[in-house]
Amino acid sequence: MHEARALRTPWRAVTLFLLPALTLYVAFTAYPVVKTLWNSLHVVLPNRHEFVGLANFVELAKDDIFWRAVRNTLIWACTSPLFEVSIALVLALALYAKVPGARFFRIAWFTPVLMSYVVVGIIWAWIYNYDWGAVNYALRALGLDSWTRAWLGKPETALPALIFITTWMWTGFNMVVLLAALHSLPSEVIEAAELDNCGWWSKLVFVIVPMIRATVLNLVVLSFVGKMKIFDLVWITTKGGPLWATETVSTYVYKRAFEWNTFDLGYPSAVASVWFVIVLCSVLTLTWLFRQREKLEY
Amino acid sequence: MSKEARVHRIKQVVLVTALAIYTMLAAGPFLWVASMSLRTTSEISKDHFRLPDTLHWEKFPDAWFNSNYGVYFSNSLLVVLSAVAILTLVGAMAAHCFARYRFRLNRVLYFVIFSTIIFPPQITIIALFQILVEYGLFNSLFGLTLVYVAFQLPITIYILESFFSRIPNDLFEAARIDGYSEWSIFWRISLPIALPALSTTIILNTILLWNEFLYAVVLITDEDKRTLPLGIQRFMGDQMEDIGMISTGLMIAIIPVVMIYAFFSEKLIQGMTAGAVK
Repeated sequence: MHEARALRTPWRAVTLFLLPALTLYVAFTAYPVVKTLWNSLHVVLPNRHEFVGLANFVELAKDDIFWRAVRNTLIWACTSPLFEVSIALVLALALYAKVPGARFFRIAWFTPVLMSYVVVGIIWAWIYNYDWGAVNYALRALGLDSWTRAWLGKPETALPALIFITTWMWTGFNMVVLLAALHSLPSEVIEAAELDNCGWWSKLVFVIVPMIRATVLNLVVLSFVGKMKIFDLVWITTKGGPLWATETVSTYVYKRAFEWNTFDLGYPSAVASVWFVIVLCSVLTLTWLFRQREKLEY
Repeated sequence: MSKEARVHRIKQVVLVTALAIYTMLAAGPFLWVASMSLRTTSEISKDHFRLPDTLHWEKFPDAWFNSNYGVYFSNSLLVVLSAVAILTLVGAMAAHCFARYRFRLNRVLYFVIFSTIIFPPQITIIALFQILVEYGLFNSLFGLTLVYVAFQLPITIYILESFFSRIPNDLFEAARIDGYSEWSIFWRISLPIALPALSTTIILNTILLWNEFLYAVVLITDEDKRTLPLGIQRFMGDQMEDIGMISTGLMIAIIPVVMIYAFFSEKLIQGMTAGAVK
């Protein structure tokens, strides 16, 4: 009798357990997504809305600022993973080599990622300050006065300077994940490689990295997605300026929806919808690509 | 000392020095702000890179009472604590259900909720603004709390589900034979066993929501309802030049995070990296 009961789904319990989560999910996630997609086909003014078909998307295709934002965001999303993961790998290997104080280093390096972008953004805006920021201070101390500049105020350096901040922030996080992956490797394999007298470089490239590739690829995707969404840091430091040099899709959506006095929520919804589809597709493509390569190799 | 041992020694020294430099780079900015938070702006403008001569502790009560940081702090605390409490209960119930019961749609629902993790927030933010205005929840801490719960629900369910699904089924069968109801199986067996996973999600959600900015900046406009990140941004906008006071405000936001990290560093690292390790 007990078996019979175990096999039947207790629908009452299932409903009870799922209802609160599903209600919140539908009300504050699923419904808003659908509403945004619906918005994107309309002009949405405070007291009326009007169906305009694909007009928003046609306008989008001709919107130079939007394409500028797409370019900036893609540059950010494609370069960040390379920096973050490769530097993190070097640091993780250093700690894996049983350095004294490894535990302390691990905890200290993880700290930046725990701070909000608001805090980090303000501190780094100061570090990049032209008159008294730490970067220019150091350059002047080294006699490199001609290298000093307003790092966030110049269109050429603003985006690289922001990319540096996110790299600084996330490297420690990536390091910790990679270190955990390294520690979970069977030590016999690495010992065997050592016995075979591989140099450390070939040991790294041919033995260690292939074994933690799943973790590396996960981190790459995670870092990529994080930068595709980036908003807070830009908003606190440059607001997308100077001259749209650091405009990201997120900041542009925010500006069009809540800052510019166009009052139309339809157009920014169209931008958000396009970006939503692009993010989903690129994540799916990345995971698919990585899986294909895995199949080829094994 | 043999030659080999000496080479090894030198290598170690070089390595540790390099690591120490990186540590300075990672921690330096915070130490700088910490030192500025105890100096007055006029002291700072004479030399930005100095340890405080006299420790101006009075700047903290000054920021707290005269620059509204006390209000920002309690708003943040209220929103974060209530959101985390709701999240933990609602998330655990859903995760328990996904892990425990076999029913049609189980995997579909789980996958749909899980995939939300990669959604860019822009896809919901504009509509959330409209919806909250419509229901009178715009510019209210309660509305923000509900949005936060929905925002963190997927990752919470993901972490808890993977823990719940490892609890052996025999335990539940035994409880059922003992006449436990479905609810008391959850409340008296699943939850206590899952305490380690629950504490991970609690700490993770606390930190992430404490730092949250985008939803707050869209959904809150009243001065006396601002959360800390909003308050800091506002103060920064009004008092650009008052570096000393802004630093004090930053420390007020940083200190709780540092305290949590000091006590629960491993838990926090586990939570933050849960999504990345498979």
